[in-house]
Amino acid sequence: MLEKLTTWSRKRSPWVFHINASSCNGCDIELVASLTPRYDIERFGAVLVPSPKHADVLIVTGVVNAQTKDRLRRVYEQVPEPKYVIAIGACAAAGGVFKGCYNAGQGVQDVIPVDMFIPGCPPRPEAIMYGVLKLLGEAK
Amino acid sequence: MSTSPEQQRREESAGLMEYSTESLVPFGPIHPALKEPEYFKLVLEGERIVNVIPRIGYVHRGLEKAAESRPWVQNMYMFERTCGICSFVHSLCYGQAVEELTLFQVPKRAKYIRTIIAEMERIHSHLLWVGLMGHWAGFDTLFMWVWNDREVVLDLVEAISGNRVHKSMNAFCGVRRDMPENMKDRIVERMKFLTDRARYYREVIDTEETMLVRTENIGRVSQDTAEKLCAVGPMARYVGLRQDVRLNDPYAAYDEVPLDIVTTTEGDVHALLRLRLDELVASANIVSYAVENLPDGPIRVKVPPVIPAGEHSSHCEAPRGEIFYYVKSSGGRTPERVKSRQPTMANLPTALEMLKGQTLADIPIVLTAIDPCFGCMDRMSFYDTETNRRWTWSGEELRQYGVNHYFPDRSKKQRGFTKAIDSSINRRQRESI
Amino acid sequence: MSETVTKLESYAEEVGTKVTALRKNENIVEVPQDKLKTFVAHVVNDLHIRHLMTITGLDLGENLGITYHFSLERDTIHVRSFVPKTKPVAVSIVDIVPGAILYEMELHDMFGIEFAGNPWKDQKLLLPDDWPADLPPPLLKTSKADQIRKRLGLEVEKK
Repeated sequence: MLEKLTTWSRKRSPWVFHINASSCNGCDIELVASLTPRYDIERFGAVLVPSPKHADVLIVTGVVNAQTKDRLRRVYEQVPEPKYVIAIGACAAAGGVFKGCYNAGQGVQDVIPVDMFIPGCPPRPEAIMYGVLKLLGEAK
Repeated sequence: MSTSPEQQRREESAGLMEYSTESLVPFGPIHPALKEPEYFKLVLEGERIVNVIPRIGYVHRGLEKAAESRPWVQNMYMFERTCGICSFVHSLCYGQAVEELTLFQVPKRAKYIRTIIAEMERIHSHLLWVGLMGHWAGFDTLFMWVWNDREVVLDLVEAISGNRVHKSMNAFCGVRRDMPENMKDRIVERMKFLTDRARYYREVIDTEETMLVRTENIGRVSQDTAEKLCAVGPMARYVGLRQDVRLNDPYAAYDEVPLDIVTTTEGDVHALLRLRLDELVASANIVSYAVENLPDGPIRVKVPPVIPAGEHSSHCEAPRGEIFYYVKSSGGRTPERVKSRQPTMANLPTALEMLKGQTLADIPIVLTAIDPCFGCMDRMSFYDTETNRRWTWSGEELRQYGVNHYFPDRSKKQRGFTKAIDSSINRRQRESI
Repeated sequence: MSETVTKLESYAEEVGTKVTALRKNENIVEVPQDKLKTFVAHVVNDLHIRHLMTITGLDLGENLGITYHFSLERDTIHVRSFVPKTKPVAVSIVDIVPGAILYEMELHDMFGIEFAGNPWKDQKLLLPDDWPADLPPPLLKTSKADQIRKRLGLEVEKK
């Protein structure tokens, strides 16, 4: 019963922590733009929280480089279960334009398990919202 | 001679201050207490910052090395993604440096279109920054309103280029897409709208108590220091240096459009706010002029994939300052060397000078004022030499500390869940301080 | 402009070198390491060209080239100096141009050039903290990107 309640609240009001892992900031500004009145992800209950310990959903942007790899893993471990990870952008999916650069990873899934990819360079705020809501719609 | 731990600590911090203020070097040695890999490490004496050590390898991906093994034109779209906020100027600067190695001229219409897009990018970047300043100062309403207005210019950019952020409009010796038909009136009307909004926001920051309290008399640096440390862009102009590449070394169509370079002399963060909003108005004016006087003609000259041997450099004025590109060709299909220097790196020593002497609650405002990348504010470590205490905060925790410090009675008016978050942050702050 | 170039040519003669024009308003001067500080002091203090845009490193086979890019209004002046790869120690200009500090640190990271006189010459600016000590600097022509990726642990076996 309690589980049903918490799942319902997680789906209806996801608390999101955003981490930038060596991103060019394009995806980050589109994510922040989805909070602004024209797109307004907050009407779906999504809230950006300041600490991973309060989060349900971890949003990762950027191609992961050697310096941010460990930090990403540490932050992932700090997010309490059950957690979802969303990787935004072409860089987070497979390295993007930087595939092959000496300090660029090949996607976030090499470091932490990912539940949803939202492709684009950068994806529009509507695409980000669609991805987040679709993931939560499938959450059990 | 034995010294008490108290005295030892004082001597140590005095040594730090001496090193960093008397010599010309902008920051002193790393304190052994700050070994974690955080973006910014700040050494405090009580509430005041005495030393700041940056660590900027978090977005280092190895683009310059990769550029040496990719075709010339592919590099243009890779360097565009160095930064999401000033992406067009990166590709423009790289394109200009390479164009000088070829013997082709850029058509006039292309130069005007480049100017239009570059100024629209400046408008979007300054609006983004003003919104962020509002957010970090604790004035979220300003953030929401400004970013809503920002959508106006992003719509225009999307209508012209197809993308809101990475426009990919540049090509060697031209632009890839033409200005669509019948956009002239729409652009002029929207520029007028943005000008009115910028003037309104100017009034807001001049009269609204939140902004005045948090930005006046904060973040000062002397003109001589800024010049010695090679500051660029708004960081140089806010202390009165008339440094703007569009004025000093015009590129694209800047020698033909009305340029209004803004400088201020007060040299605090409030002056930076005024400066960027005035620049926004000037940019809107340039865009309106350029679309109304857009010359006819071709938009592009085809350039062969092999670039002749030689070396050249180029610089442009990005929203944050001067961007510099140097290219060297040995006559092949790939460059021999490409060097790109972003404006934030040029401004970093000046920014660290700005931070010294500020209090803990003012750090987020000063750091945002230099217009850094998002990720840089994610995590900071602090070391207080007076209490020997060491702690780390995320950017949001630091912001909350600043807001609570300046507006302690605000927590009474908060909504339920943000209050819950804030109270947990306050609890952690009380535990660590 | 011609006045600046004339004065520049006289300083260049003083240190035993000459000015080459790359294009209109862009000139390059090659200066040996022992005369570098004198020349830069002339450029900064006498010609009042105080804005250093950046410092670029070049791998030229046996030598490493260090190019200082100065600008004043429409003029760009490149000052280039060389150090051998076998002993990459260069002289720092931080006491004349304090703004050069981060650029010299970047060259140290990317090419392995040690700038004697730079107070931060041993600190990493851009490279990750766990950069292996035996791995050569990345921007040398002999360093290969895929080898660096393997050593940094960024290559993951795809199943």
